[in-house]
Amino acid sequence: MELTVNHQSVYIATGGKEFDAGLPTVLFIHGSGGDHRTWALQTRWFAYHGYSVLAPDLPGHSLSGGEAFQSIEESGPWLNTLLEHTGVNKVHIVGHSQGFLTALEFAKTHADKILSLTAVGTAAEIPVNQALIDTAKDSAAKAAHMMVNWGFGPAAHMGMSSVPGMQPLAICRAIMSVNPLAADLQACADYSGGAGIAASLSFPRHCILATHDKMTPLKSGKTLAADMRCDVSIIDGYGHMLPLEAPKKTLAAIRHFIESVESQRATA
Amino acid sequence: MRISSAMTNSSFFKPETIALHTGYQPESQYGSRAVPIYQTTSYAFDSVTQASSLFNVEQGGHIYSRISNPTVAVLEQRLAALEGGAGAICTASGMSALFATFITLCSAGDHIVSSEQIYGSTATTLRYTLKRFGIDCDFIPINDPKALKAAIRPNTKLVFCESISNPGMEVSNLPEISKIANAAGVPVVVDATFATPALNRPLEHGANIVVHSMTKWIGGHGTSIGGVIIDGGTFNWGNGRFPEMTEPYAPFHGMKFWEEFGPTAFVMKIRSEAMRDLGAALSPHNAFLILQGVETMALRMQKHVANTAALRDWLLQQDAVSWVRHPNIDAPDHVAEMFPHGAGSMLCFGVTGGRAGGAAFINAVELASHLANVGDSRTLVLHPGSTTHSRLTPEALEAAGIGEDLIRVSVGIEDISDIISDFKKGLKAASRVAK
Repeated sequence: MELTVNHQSVYIATGGKEFDAGLPTVLFIHGSGGDHRTWALQTRWFAYHGYSVLAPDLPGHSLSGGEAFQSIEESGPWLNTLLEHTGVNKVHIVGHSQGFLTALEFAKTHADKILSLTAVGTAAEIPVNQALIDTAKDSAAKAAHMMVNWGFGPAAHMGMSSVPGMQPLAICRAIMSVNPLAADLQACADYSGGAGIAASLSFPRHCILATHDKMTPLKSGKTLAADMRCDVSIIDGYGHMLPLEAPKKTLAAIRHFIESVESQRATA
Repeated sequence: MRISSAMTNSSFFKPETIALHTGYQPESQYGSRAVPIYQTTSYAFDSVTQASSLFNVEQGGHIYSRISNPTVAVLEQRLAALEGGAGAICTASGMSALFATFITLCSAGDHIVSSEQIYGSTATTLRYTLKRFGIDCDFIPINDPKALKAAIRPNTKLVFCESISNPGMEVSNLPEISKIANAAGVPVVVDATFATPALNRPLEHGANIVVHSMTKWIGGHGTSIGGVIIDGGTFNWGNGRFPEMTEPYAPFHGMKFWEEFGPTAFVMKIRSEAMRDLGAALSPHNAFLILQGVETMALRMQKHVANTAALRDWLLQQDAVSWVRHPNIDAPDHVAEMFPHGAGSMLCFGVTGGRAGGAAFINAVELASHLANVGDSRTLVLHPGSTTHSRLTPEALEAAGIGEDLIRVSVGIEDISDIISDFKKGLKAASRVAK
């Protein structure tokens, strides 16, 4: 569906079902240079199993209008405005990489609107090499080439795909190449304070990390989990692009956590 | 001679490595090193929940081998990686790959711009079959930028050409063609059968979709018919010209393919619609056989190209040969740019003695096989004037660019000295007829 937020059109994938604000809602936030298709193999399950789904393209990305955020801090209030437009009061949030930082900034001021938070392939801070940012400023395609190399684990590099006939590396590269990668990477590089916010959270939270993550290494993810005081699902053999390269395992971990939260809510 | 070893957009391995490894890792139960043949029509569901999740596209997987199959998927992923595409889909033949492409992009009232230099069966599909369904096609000299610009209409859905044309052996200037077509919001579809990704990758020259008859050099052994469509993943289907990609598709959950799949919208639409409607699935056994060819394609193409260059140069010196046609002879600049390692292994030449001389040549050669195919590992020859085009008058043959004396050669990978010895017999026989 499309909404207008701050005078700009925002595309929001809803998992193949009409959005219903009356259902428990899961909000998926993509990472640097990504879009809603990051979550193609997670959102449809939730939409077909009793949830409503919101998977926006952040401003300036793919099917959404506007300009990319210049800072992570800008993205939290925007997310609140977006949710106000949907009529949803409380959401489960799933954030990948930079998308998790956006979720943290939202949590900083609107923790009361969060049912749970799932951090996927991320850390409290995501330092970015200046050379990569400079490359992205020159050419998003060149930077995407580098990020796809580092971002995917061994199976994807061997051309394995959970969807027959597809090449996840090329798909990811194609999406990143047309999105504002430089702005996203700069926003990540400039961001700090995530650890403090993570430590302050009290709603249910969970981390899903990958053993072969070279962009937000497992060690950083475990530090985040310690800050958040939450359980961790570690997916063995995969890299940073977990939702794309290990979609079933990522979905299973998200499902397990959110269903347990919903179960506790039902019995509360 | 070294075949292109540059990385593609889909893998950080070099092409020779992709050809052997991409898309398959030894499966867990038996550790089969070779890609297993999943000779099955269908796949048992774990549960009703899992079944419904497959039908709802909540997860990837196989349901029925008309739509997808594990052995075929390995071949698809390998070819997508070799061409640098976002996804691929195999079909029962090269012609079914083309037909699926055309009907996925075009509906009644739409229009195609095609090179006038294309394979006869493809021309027939475009000129006659699609016309019955309300899809028009204009045939133009594809390397003429003015003609291309003038031919594109508001309802044009694709520009079609062959990277090396059959049988004219004209090399399409893909960078120029793609620049013009894409600026007009129209994708470029390239039949790259004569090139293979070992010699030229059209996506890197601006094309958007690549089609192959794998029956030819990709399979390479003359055992199996098959086709493949590779989606480059770079075309903006949301430019307003393609409601087939952007509007809800009622038979498939009301899905909007462009929104849902982005870079793979085209190939997913084919899997969801054309594979269902046409049923032109590649058999798992053929996929396995073609995979054996893919594994050695780069090595074979080196030999094909080297033999072709040697035979071409030898033919140019023979008194019984009146002319030789090959893409590298008197080539425009874009040929070297697109084919730095050689422009394929097809050549034509004119033999002395006209139609009778051509027939004598064919009857005299013993090593070369006389048949209507190309791209086998073995050397193949055909004299259109006495076979495929025998009912045409000399004037009609000339109009089709096929002289009475034309011998078409698909140069194989035998030892070149044996090929030349065989051709000497043929030329000697033709010379006798000419006297």
